Amino acid sequence: MAHLSEGTLRRMVDEPDAHGGADARHLETCADCQARYSTVSRDAGAISSLMTAPELRVDVASAFNRVRSAPAAQPRFGFRLPVMRPGSRPMVLGFATVIAAAALLVTAVAQGGGIFAPTTVTPVPVQVADLQALSQLSAYGTVTWTREPQPQVVTSAAEAKAISGLQPPTVAKLPPGVSSTVTYAATAQAIAVFTFSAAQAAAEAAKTGKSLPKLPAGIDGATLTVSVGPAVAEIFGNLNTTAGSDPTQVGLPQLIVAESSAPVATSTQVTVKQLEDYLLAQPGISPELAAAIKAIGDPSSTLPIPVPVEYATASTVTVQGVQGVALGDNTGVGAGVIWIKNGQVYGVAGTVKLSDAIDLANHLT
Amino acid sequence: MASVRPDDESFEALFTAEYARVAGIANRVLMDQHEAEDVAQEVFMDFHRLHSASAQYAPAWLHRAAAHAALNRLRGSRRRLRREVAQATQESDRIADPQKVYEVSEDRRQVRQALARMAPKPAAVLVLRASGLSYAEVAQALGVGIGQVGTLLRRAEAALRKEVTSGTSF
Repeated sequence: MAHLSEGTLRRMVDEPDAHGGADARHLETCADCQARYSTVSRDAGAISSLMTAPELRVDVASAFNRVRSAPAAQPRFGFRLPVMRPGSRPMVLGFATVIAAAALLVTAVAQGGGIFAPTTVTPVPVQVADLQALSQLSAYGTVTWTREPQPQVVTSAAEAKAISGLQPPTVAKLPPGVSSTVTYAATAQAIAVFTFSAAQAAAEAAKTGKSLPKLPAGIDGATLTVSVGPAVAEIFGNLNTTAGSDPTQVGLPQLIVAESSAPVATSTQVTVKQLEDYLLAQPGISPELAAAIKAIGDPSSTLPIPVPVEYATASTVTVQGVQGVALGDNTGVGAGVIWIKNGQVYGVAGTVKLSDAIDLANHLT
Repeated sequence: MASVRPDDESFEALFTAEYARVAGIANRVLMDQHEAEDVAQEVFMDFHRLHSASAQYAPAWLHRAAAHAALNRLRGSRRRLRREVAQATQESDRIADPQKVYEVSEDRRQVRQALARMAPKPAAVLVLRASGLSYAEVAQALGVGIGQVGTLLRRAEAALRKEVTSGTSF
């Protein structure tokens, strides 16, 4: 019989009964293995001494109470979802898109005469330059949250409903290859107020050294109040495929199904046509975006969906009997659908084929 | 809102069954009860957020996560060194054999520095085994065959000894 391996000898030191009779018999009769066993055993003893730790006395009940009363999972949200990871292009794009959406909302409000309550969606093409131009608008005033968004990640639909008041949509059948492991995200309604400031806009212009369009008369001090949500999302995919807490090791979500109350915006002192012209006159805004905004038929009830034209293609589709915006293609790299029905905005997006996303959207209940 | 539902009996059962061991694994690395319990509670909250408490793999996941989370914390903590030296001095002041206490503290500090420098897997093998996990449990936690654990452990011990001997500081 061959000599025992180091690994076998090591285990025999700790768990002498674990090995079969043949190994034990070999050890009894083999002087070479006995000598190696002694070395292994001595080494193990030395390491064991090194690895001693001070005694730990835990109070399990108290520890459980601490965990139970710990703050909600919200702070984790930022890095649990890889799209939010700093430095990643999706995050930068996503953030810029949110800013663009807010800015476009302003446009829609301006056109609609004070109240914006969308009932349908339409795609508008945006380019990186548009996003950069629109992002400057946030420096033209002050944003204050009268009710801050508090997204929380929870593990059950019931908990998501308790937070948002919305029952997460039921997915009839997941597309092929999508994990059925689901995590929920939910937030109550958030309300932000943006107050335009002529002084801040002038300061921003001076800082950047750019020549900016003149603010329309009377806009100084005008407020725009935007409410978003409540919202709930189902995130499919194993977000934590590896044990441990390394945030760079989380898995990507494969599919996200989301529902939100449609945003509502109201404004004061806003001069309708002037504001639209002002926004679209920002340096860097592409003629395509300006044309698309101006072409929206009923801006007070249409939510423009900014589509980054360098990265995605968009089309108009019919989903659940209403008009929706579809993004992506059938390669499976990524696709999404967004639509508004009965005052609720719905979205389905993921690393799936567009046809699968539309099919899933049509069967959402 | 609490992140753990009060009615989640299976999670409470898992917590009760595994908390001491999970905290023990973290303590083996960090040698500090407060920090070890911090890590243990984070690990349980992470688990609860994304997994079912009745999952078969729950204990193995927790053990592995505790080892890696504690090792990560160890690698990120350079201030620890200064605190430990201060603690060792305090202990040696009030205990009968201060020289002995100081030596033990110094050994522990060197071991932690060595663990922090080691590759994650061998470091985890050492920590899990030293925390009293059986070979079968170590194998489950690390996702390896039980027959490999002895070999991994033997190599990890050699690596630790080498690191302690080389003894460079953080």
